[in-house]
Amino acid sequence: MAEANTELLNRIDALRLSERNQQWKKAMKASGWKLFADRERWTVASWRETEGEDIQIRRAQLFKKIVENVEIRIHDYDVIVGRPTPGVIGCATSFDVCGDYIPDLWKDTAELQITLDANVGLDPESIEILRNSAREFRGKTAPEMTYKAWEAVVGSWVMDAEAAKLKDPTLDTAIFGQTTSVLMWNKILGKGLRSFIDEAQEHMDAFIANRETNIDKLYFWKSAVIVCEAAINHSRRYAALAREMAEVEVRPDRKRELLQIASICERVPEHPARTLHEALQSMAIIGVCKLYEHPMHNNPQWGRGDQYLYPYFMRDISDGTITLEGASELLAELIGRWGTQTFVASESLKESHQINFGINNIMIGGVDKSGADCSNVLSYLFLHVIGLLQLSSPTLGLRWNKATPHWLMNKAIRTNMATKGGIPLFENDEVVIPHFLEDGIPMEEAAEWCGLGCVYPCLPSRAEHYGAEGVAACNMAAMLHLVLHNGVDVNGKRTGLETGDPRELKSFDEMYEALMKQHKFITHRTFWLAAIARREQAKYVRFPFLSTMGIQRCMDLGQDLLIPDPDYCMFGISDRAIIDVADSLVAIKKLVFDEKKLTMDELIKVLDSNFDGQRGEEVRQMCLAQPKFGNDIDEVDLLAKKISADSYRIIRSYDNSPFRNYMIAREGLAWHYFGGLGVGALPNGRKAFEPLNDGAVSPMRGADKNGPTAVLRSAIKAGFKESHASVLNQKFSSAILRSNESIDKIVAYTNAFMSSGGSHIQYNMVDTKELRDAKIHPENHRDLIVRIGGFSAYFTQLSPDIQDDVINRNEHSL
Amino acid sequence: MCAYMGSGRKTSGINSQSAIITNIQGFSIHDGPGIRTVVFFKGCPLSCRWCANPECLSGTPRMGFIESLCAHCGACLDVCTNNAIRSTEGEHRIDYSRCQSCGNCKDQCYSGALIRYGESMTLAEVWDAVKRDKMFFDSSGGGVTVSGGEPLLWARFVRELFELCHQERINTCVETCGFADAETLLEVIAVTDYFLFDLKHMDSDAHRKHTGQSNTQIMKNAALLLEHGADVVFRQPLVPGINDSTWNIEATARFLTGLGEKAIRLEIMPYHRLGESKYRALNLVYAMNGIAAADDEQLEAVRKAYVQCGIECTISR
Repeated sequence: MAEANTELLNRIDALRLSERNQQWKKAMKASGWKLFADRERWTVASWRETEGEDIQIRRAQLFKKIVENVEIRIHDYDVIVGRPTPGVIGCATSFDVCGDYIPDLWKDTAELQITLDANVGLDPESIEILRNSAREFRGKTAPEMTYKAWEAVVGSWVMDAEAAKLKDPTLDTAIFGQTTSVLMWNKILGKGLRSFIDEAQEHMDAFIANRETNIDKLYFWKSAVIVCEAAINHSRRYAALAREMAEVEVRPDRKRELLQIASICERVPEHPARTLHEALQSMAIIGVCKLYEHPMHNNPQWGRGDQYLYPYFMRDISDGTITLEGASELLAELIGRWGTQTFVASESLKESHQINFGINNIMIGGVDKSGADCSNVLSYLFLHVIGLLQLSSPTLGLRWNKATPHWLMNKAIRTNMATKGGIPLFENDEVVIPHFLEDGIPMEEAAEWCGLGCVYPCLPSRAEHYGAEGVAACNMAAMLHLVLHNGVDVNGKRTGLETGDPRELKSFDEMYEALMKQHKFITHRTFWLAAIARREQAKYVRFPFLSTMGIQRCMDLGQDLLIPDPDYCMFGISDRAIIDVADSLVAIKKLVFDEKKLTMDELIKVLDSNFDGQRGEEVRQMCLAQPKFGNDIDEVDLLAKKISADSYRIIRSYDNSPFRNYMIAREGLAWHYFGGLGVGALPNGRKAFEPLNDGAVSPMRGADKNGPTAVLRSAIKAGFKESHASVLNQKFSSAILRSNESIDKIVAYTNAFMSSGGSHIQYNMVDTKELRDAKIHPENHRDLIVRIGGFSAYFTQLSPDIQDDVINRNEHSL
Repeated sequence: MCAYMGSGRKTSGINSQSAIITNIQGFSIHDGPGIRTVVFFKGCPLSCRWCANPECLSGTPRMGFIESLCAHCGACLDVCTNNAIRSTEGEHRIDYSRCQSCGNCKDQCYSGALIRYGESMTLAEVWDAVKRDKMFFDSSGGGVTVSGGEPLLWARFVRELFELCHQERINTCVETCGFADAETLLEVIAVTDYFLFDLKHMDSDAHRKHTGQSNTQIMKNAALLLEHGADVVFRQPLVPGINDSTWNIEATARFLTGLGEKAIRLEIMPYHRLGESKYRALNLVYAMNGIAAADDEQLEAVRKAYVQCGIECTISR
């Protein structure tokens, strides 16, 4: 839909955050994150009651016990109800899934570090509940059993490889934390949970009538009925609570609201939603139930909210059921609540992803199955609300295609400014959809793709096993480190293949060959371990609620989503740091093989010393001065393209049924910090343990000296066509976005990239902190260009006092 | 300054003439419509005291030294065959009486403290660098802008560059101080889609005092461009204490309105001192010390004054 209702768009632009949502934000900030032990209380109780029963039924009963018993609360500013804890912002643990995963738990102080920056103190009763649960499940959960199985097969290699960041920690970043799916919102809202129950019942009736024998199917459908009934009951508990509160409520307005909450919660999610309000309330309950099943479940995930909610929104607005302000307030309420849901991350997840809030992804725009753009006014409202809320989550992706309307793109860039960068992420339909089609997915399904977590392109109705059971990130920079040390990693352990003394390599081609040999060795081993992990996971955990709400094939087949099946499993993998590897290889080629300015021996010694001493610094400057990706230089751009293609071939050679679909998606987040911890100094001039290149095709930090258009040309040349998603992070000074005319130029810039085959791009604003750092470490910020009409200069070339002027200008415009 | 420069790329069949270029900058969004690539030419007939691009004043390459980036490695001292780099107690200076601007020193300077302002580039090389951004020009309505220095000192080069641009349907823009003889100007009019034309001062003596030249020819050229139907946006570098007096603003407005209906677009370019670093790098004297940039309020007042005279006036940021 390219034509916009301008009058409606203008009215949206004028909307402010409602009083109620401001109150909530204030209360949230004042309260801080809190940890609640209630879920664990009921988890342990249920687990003891169901001892000996089938795992599928046990997990369904456990879910039922939790949602029918946990403490619930309706806060004064809630109109949409349904929270994972009674607190304003809080979280629960999941020992039943992850095992005893919180090291701080056993400390005498009873203080747990649950967030990256905060500790929570627990009362003695709560800490005892948590410890009780940890004792109950310790050593018996899927990840722990998986590690045991691995150790039996490869000894200490798994732990060594994890220590060298050659493999992500399985506990958090693989199946156990992040197997998830975007739920079937259309079906949930359109038919209601009662229809799911009926469907499961029909399957069971047919099973019996047809005298089938695979009893596991029966268990699955039975579990589906249990969890749906339980979710309906959870909603009814809110209805009852609201009625109770209404009876004693003295403010007539609030009393009316509470009664409305009660009647809506009595209707949904059991029955189809009829209004926007009912739809959002239905989603709230389903979303929170998903978190109760597994608090690290990567959040509810909006999926294409602007599509499935649009009919409710337009109907309510046009017949006056709700005002635009009212609709916006409800939408902001659910976006905000879901955006601030946290979980208790283990140490390694904090380290690898720098988060412990579920990244909640909203997808807007994009094409339908006929290929026509279906952006609408609700897409615009989502952007506006995200701009008003100013939260770090949810993230929002805009599915770009050639017909994406200009009014939406313009609003997207303005939202980027309002959120101070990062949102939205522009994602190219014309790149992503063909990938799914090539993998044999029909267009009607491929057209519904959306982002999961931060980026992962995912199909609703298919299970996303992010990390492919412990492979997760394929750290190519660490592999290069192995090549330069004959298979010995950064910790001195021989985790890699002995590819020979690098000093004996006779040519650049031999060097490249050695890198690919390391890749094959590490990849082979991790995929092999992944097969073990898969087997273990299904023995110890099941997710009946997620399976029922998320994946139609699970219902059809009578099978939990943790039972691997090529019909619905997608295994996501990121092969990363390709840019660092390409830059490093080009530096080796030039300095060692072509120009012979350094011997391999000297280079390796200098790298091992981390560029120590004056000679070390000289060599580092030489390394930094070699051609770098991001400047439209064929030699390095085309090498990146080759590495990408070769890495893809290695990974997809493991694409054997039944474990098909090793989908490569090179995303971003904070992994480059984590991955860098396993990599010594590199020949591109990066020092040991510093971050690797972020995203997929982002240049090395500060190396893109020819401006933003050259970066895009490099990225387009490198192609990375093999990957479902290749993220490019670009940054601009907010000072250049002061006028609407400039904003339109960023729109044009984005359009040019996307129509030339770019995959994913997002914009960040250069902040004052970065400029200050550039004063001290100019070598890391050679890309910063000061742009003013008729004038240009690199920031690092300015004198310190002039640099301060520029910093002031930047602060001014923030 | 630009990785394409001096890359030795050749495109056969294109005239082999050269120009001295200090920078080719992609993604310029303040120098004409859309996303543009700006080619900065070296050499200028004016010598404005506030010039932000002093590296473009002289017509020949010149070495610059950025002290804050110097790693004091001494590599430059070893390679300079003219003994033009003096080092005392770790600090060094370029002796311009000896320096031949050969650039050998900068090739050794990995930390980027030594730079050569100005590279001789052939038309083919410049064309290769600018055409790369065609997709951005197409999507934004942008194109190529020549600036400097004064690009009209290189009028023939500019004309041929723009002819190539037009063959590829790339929009062209000249950013000029307006000081050129009429013939030179006419040489580029036909291939230029858009002019950014500076008006510095309406009083000829003041103009001469601050820029080194009288404004007579500049004002004639402004009229000439409009007579030939050129698409012109005038620009005024607004320098506090030099050309921001009520008299000058009124005189500029009168001049513009007197040129006819087409001369109503004016862009104010607020003075800033960001060019000062380059003066230091080139060991040139910066004559603007102590002059404060105008604040937003003052700029807005000037803009309003122009608008009241019927001029479509914007402030470049």
